[in-house]
Amino acid sequence: MTSVIDYVAGDTLLHRLNPVTKLAVAAAVIVATLLADTYPLLVGLIVLTLAIGAYAGALRRLASLLKVLVPLAVIMLLLQTAVVRTGAPVVAWVTTDGLVTGSKACLRLLGVAMPLILMLSVTKMGDLANACVEVLHVPYRYAFTFTTALRFVPVFSQEMTAIMEAQTARGVEYDTRNPFRKLQLMLPLCVPLLVSSVGKTDATALAAEQRGFYLRTRASSYKRYPIVARDWVVLALCVALVALGAAL
Amino acid sequence: MSSPAIIRLDNVSFCYGQRDARALDDVSLEIRPGEFVGVTGPSGAGKSTLAAALSGAVPHHYRGSLYGAVYVDGQDTCEVSLTDIARTVGSVTQDIDAQMVASVVEDELLFGLENFGVPHDEIEGRLAGALATVGISGLRDREIATLSGGQKQKVAVAAILALRPRVLVLDEPTAALDPASSKLIFQTLSQLNRNSGITVVVIEQKVALLSEFCDRILVMNGGRLVLDGTPREVFAHGPELRQMGVDSPRVARVSNSLAEHGVIDPGPPCLSVGEAETLIRGLLAAHGEESLPAAGAGPSSADPLSAPSQVSPHTPVPSASERAESPVVDLSDVSFSYPGSGDGVAHVNLSVRPGELVGVVGQNGAGKTTLTKLLNGLLRPASGAVRIAGIDTRTVPVSRIAAHVSTLFQNPDRQLCKDTVLDEVAFGLELQGVDAREARQRAQAATERFGLPAGESPFSLSRGQRQMVALASVVVMEPQVVLLDEPTSGLDYRECMTVMETVGQMAERGCAVIMVCHDMEVVSDFAERVVVMAGGRVLADGSAAEVFAQPGLMEAASIEAPQVAQLSQALARSASPRFAGISQVSGIVDLVEEMVRP
Repeated sequence: MTSVIDYVAGDTLLHRLNPVTKLAVAAAVIVATLLADTYPLLVGLIVLTLAIGAYAGALRRLASLLKVLVPLAVIMLLLQTAVVRTGAPVVAWVTTDGLVTGSKACLRLLGVAMPLILMLSVTKMGDLANACVEVLHVPYRYAFTFTTALRFVPVFSQEMTAIMEAQTARGVEYDTRNPFRKLQLMLPLCVPLLVSSVGKTDATALAAEQRGFYLRTRASSYKRYPIVARDWVVLALCVALVALGAAL
Repeated sequence: MSSPAIIRLDNVSFCYGQRDARALDDVSLEIRPGEFVGVTGPSGAGKSTLAAALSGAVPHHYRGSLYGAVYVDGQDTCEVSLTDIARTVGSVTQDIDAQMVASVVEDELLFGLENFGVPHDEIEGRLAGALATVGISGLRDREIATLSGGQKQKVAVAAILALRPRVLVLDEPTAALDPASSKLIFQTLSQLNRNSGITVVVIEQKVALLSEFCDRILVMNGGRLVLDGTPREVFAHGPELRQMGVDSPRVARVSNSLAEHGVIDPGPPCLSVGEAETLIRGLLAAHGEESLPAAGAGPSSADPLSAPSQVSPHTPVPSASERAESPVVDLSDVSFSYPGSGDGVAHVNLSVRPGELVGVVGQNGAGKTTLTKLLNGLLRPASGAVRIAGIDTRTVPVSRIAAHVSTLFQNPDRQLCKDTVLDEVAFGLELQGVDAREARQRAQAATERFGLPAGESPFSLSRGQRQMVALASVVVMEPQVVLLDEPTSGLDYRECMTVMETVGQMAERGCAVIMVCHDMEVVSDFAERVVVMAGGRVLADGSAAEVFAQPGLMEAASIEAPQVAQLSQALARSASPRFAGISQVSGIVDLVEEMVRP
């Protein structure tokens, strides 16, 4: 419920696209971001992602993601300015070249991280897995592994929260303000968490096998995921976007 | 009885991995189509292993040595694949989260249907049918992560049902559920059994449910099948069951105990409150005790019997609670709500004195867990104040509150983190700054008292023993307040009694005990005071006898009074007012004995 990849319900064009097309959109924006080398395009791609997010009603999700990403981006900028020392000095160790490469790296980080999360949040995991199997011919066991791993993220984080609450109630200082002390206290808990995760994974494997996992073929899915006209249009736009990234 | 068995076990034994200990020991058994079989027994009796053998997980998933043979629908399970066995036997395992393979209810049901190649034009019908059968059609598009425990359990059953198995094997489906949801699950199973002819095998600790719904009960102990019969036949062995660590329904205990005292002839025990009432009324009538004008209605009627004003001589004597000490726990007008949802608690007032043992009861979602988290400081009140031993919980960190309050959590594994039992028990003391040598001495004494292996890793112990380690770490702290969150779930009857007796002793020594518990029998046996919660509010706060005697209140909180309380109310109405307020089996038996033998 608190995970960033939870499904955001809706009925927009984006929601109705084939899950594979959505992956292509994310891939196109990412590739374009990596290829782009000018500020207008880099900023433009981020704005595009945010605009799509706003259209699909997932802007709040992106905002919470940005809260994590922006501090990371700032650290990256500082590191870059420390490494790249050519060009005219600006302030202290910072040079013009450092600022340029650093800020571009920053924008790329934001531009690369957001599209995939956005597309995953407007796609149901089951649909994504089935569509990848049907359209991309991905073997089902890989698709299943992937979706199960994503599904387990919130389950494990809940488990970790519960463990930490239990330990706090015993008097372990997880409520300390010192992040390093907190990390040091958390490490020993990885073992119980790992033990319970292995148990859970094994139980899921058994449950899947007892419901015919090994009988599944590409034709098994009840819902079908055809690539229709709107998908082709969007795919064409994706190609154009990548070309634009390469050109500018 | 003539139809051939759908599952047959011939002298089956099983050892996990390389171990020598037999989880199943020479079990022979036939399950016939259409039966509703309950399996019970103490922890470590081999119940889950039996379920695994029935569903083919033994030997196909769990490695070990299997002796004997299991036949499902005539085929030796060793010779067919797990997938093929699953066509006949659908199984629902204990960990319901791990059972799920999808994130949306609809996909969860589709998974099996698609895999087994059900023709696509039949899928919609089967899917909708399975959802309707367990009554969750409205949940079809919900994310599974947002469902309650009871709803998830129903999704798991529906996902299996859609595959139309002939046998359904369930391993403790109600372990995490409140009494109302537990009963609903059993009612659903019972309907499937009667209407669709599905054979049901269910492992369960709640004996009252087993006696109400099953037509056959198997009792396991030490890997062996020790009793096999109708509920009446099985619960006639009350004392033997008790010795093994298996509880009997309280009404069965009443009739068994009357027989032991020679008041009635030994025979099949009563299984419902109605039966016990009829039995006792008949006894009294035969001895010339005049019957009150028959109330006519059964024990569950909402006849508003006002709280008994005269205190019966059989109510447990309120012990330490009457000491005029100031409360050690004090909540005044406390409210808290979780961001994003309306859940939480509102305007809770509660004070608990040293030596009191308070039971908190109510449905899942009534706010009980929120209350415990407010008490141990994990949550801070949004308004009002929580004072523990005079400390306002808003002013100090949780880790400091821990010096006064110890919590025993439902799942001991979240509490355990050390390499040896001794370290584990000493850990809490060390955190509170107790000198290492003294901490170890006290921990040593505590582990010896509970008979725990001090040098072993807590994770290598059984579920029941892990709970004992967690309990020892609570006891060793000698706290002023103990919080228990479902202290008896996952434990067998004997372990449950050990936990509760220990807690009782702590209360006698002046510790305030607050216990959240779904098991009303445990609450009425041990708590002298009961707080009833619903929808985040406290509906009632009074003596156990008083609270359980109010049918309207029980209904408002969606809980069911313990059997003995129901029986004493029924008898107070129909036989003699002297029964009012009795909460213990022995109280009923003693009074009946006194009345029939002047």
